[in-house]
Amino acid sequence: MVTIKGYIRENGNVGIRNHVLILPLDDLSNTAAIGVSKLIRGTTVIPHPYGRLQFGRDLDLFFHILAGTGSNPNVASVIVIGIEENWANKVADEIAKTGKPVEVFPIEGYGDLRTIERASRKALEFVQEASEKQRTEVDISSIAMSIKCGESDTTSGLASNPAVGVVVDKMVDQGATVMFGETSELTGAEDIVAEKMANHELREKFLKIFKEYTEVIEREGVDLLGSQPTQGNIKGGLSTIEEKALGNIQKLGHRKVNCVLDYLDQLPKERKEGTLCFVNTSSAAAEAVTLFAAKGSVIHLFTTGQGNVVGHPIIPVIKITANPKTAKLMQEHIDIDVSDLLDLKITLEEAGERIYQYMLRVINGRLTKAEVLQHDEFSPIKLYVSA
Amino acid sequence: MPKGLIHSKEDDVCVATTDIKKGEEVLCVYLEDPSSHVIVKSLQDIPLGHKIALRDIKKGEKVLKYGRPIGVAIKDILKGEHVHIHNIKSLRWGKWSQ
Repeated sequence: MVTIKGYIRENGNVGIRNHVLILPLDDLSNTAAIGVSKLIRGTTVIPHPYGRLQFGRDLDLFFHILAGTGSNPNVASVIVIGIEENWANKVADEIAKTGKPVEVFPIEGYGDLRTIERASRKALEFVQEASEKQRTEVDISSIAMSIKCGESDTTSGLASNPAVGVVVDKMVDQGATVMFGETSELTGAEDIVAEKMANHELREKFLKIFKEYTEVIEREGVDLLGSQPTQGNIKGGLSTIEEKALGNIQKLGHRKVNCVLDYLDQLPKERKEGTLCFVNTSSAAAEAVTLFAAKGSVIHLFTTGQGNVVGHPIIPVIKITANPKTAKLMQEHIDIDVSDLLDLKITLEEAGERIYQYMLRVINGRLTKAEVLQHDEFSPIKLYVSA
Repeated sequence: MPKGLIHSKEDDVCVATTDIKKGEEVLCVYLEDPSSHVIVKSLQDIPLGHKIALRDIKKGEKVLKYGRPIGVAIKDILKGEHVHIHNIKSLRWGKWSQ
C-alpha cells in the first residue's frame, strides 16, 4: 500500500496544500481582497474578473467554480469578500457544507478600508489556526488529481502524454481519482474516448456533451481552424485537430472511463474503486485547470510540447515535456524532462515511473516550479455575455 | 540513433525527433515494434516534431498517423517531403475555409 502525507479536512477529503483563501466574490471586490492578502502573511488571494450580472447556467457555473475552489481540500479556511452580502453568502454557505471555517465580509455599507480591517482580523486568526494543521499518512487512493496538455506538439503524443498515461493507470489501479477534459481537443478521437466509457449510459452522456460543444462552434458560423490547432501547436509540427486529439488521448491510459461530469456535476462522493472521469471543459489551460480544481482535484499533471507556463493558486501544476528544446529553453517552468524517450534511451514505463515518483514528492510537500514562480492563474469558464 | 519515430505500422508519416537537414537518410523506428524501422531520404529540412512522408501521397488521399486519418492531402506529396499545413488539412474543421 502506498501512503502519502496529506491534510485530512473536516469532511474527510484529503488535501496536499494548506491555503487560507481570500476569495473575492466579484470583480469589484478584488481590491479589498488583495488588500487583506498584503496585510496578512500566509493568505492566498484569487482575483478574477467575474461575478456581476451573470445569469442562468453561466451564473450556476460561476458559483460552482467559486464554491468548489473554496471547498477544495487544499484549502484550510476561506474569507469571502463581496460587494453584496447575500450574494457572497450563497458561495460561503456552499463552502461551509465541507465543515471548514468560512466567513463573509460585505463591502456595501462599510467601504474597502473597514472591510479590509475586519477581514484581516479574521484572516490573522485563520492563518494561525491553519499553521497548526499537520500532515498525516493516508492511502494514495484518497487523492483526486487531473491531467491536461497545453502548447502541445508532436512530442506530446509520442512521449510525454503516453508517459502520463502510465501514471494514470497506476493511480486508478490504486483507487485514486483522475479527471481529464478538453472537450474540443478530442475532435477526431471522440469515438475512441466513447469506446473507453464503462457503460452505455456514460457513452451517451459523453457524446451528448461533445455534440453540444460542436454545435456551439457551428452556431457561430465558424469552425475552429485558426484556433485549433493553435499557432504554437503548428510551430511544433501538429497539422490538424485530429492529429492533436490523437496525441491528446495518449495520456488517458488504458482504464475504462467510469465517470462523466458536465459543467455543474460534482465528483461522486463515494468512490470505492479507482475513478477515471471525463469533465466537460474548455481546452484553454487555465480554464481547464481552474474547473478541475473546483471539482476537487488537488494536483495536476500538465504535459507541454512548445512550453506552456500555466499554474493555479491552490493546486500544484507539474509541468512535463518530452521536447528537448523546451526542456532547455524554458527550464524554469519544466519540472520533469522525459525527452530521453524520443531517443528510446528509456522505456515508457520508466518515464511513467519518473513522473509518478516526482508527483509523490510534490504531493508530500515539494513545491512545483509554477508554485515557486507564483503562476497563479484562476480563470472561471464563462458561457454567456452578462445581463 | 533514430532521428524519427512512427506510431503505427499503417502510418504514412514519420515524426522527426531531431532537426533534420535536406538530403539526410533518416532512420525512423516503429514505436509499436522498436526492432523494425524504415529509412527515408529527406527532400527538405524538417524541424524537430515535424513530419516526413513515408510514401508518395496523391492529392485527395487520407494521411494516416496513429493508424488513423489525421487529414487529407491537398496536393501531391512526395516520399521524403515535409508534411504539414501547406499540404494536408483537417477532415473535420477547415471545411469552411476552402
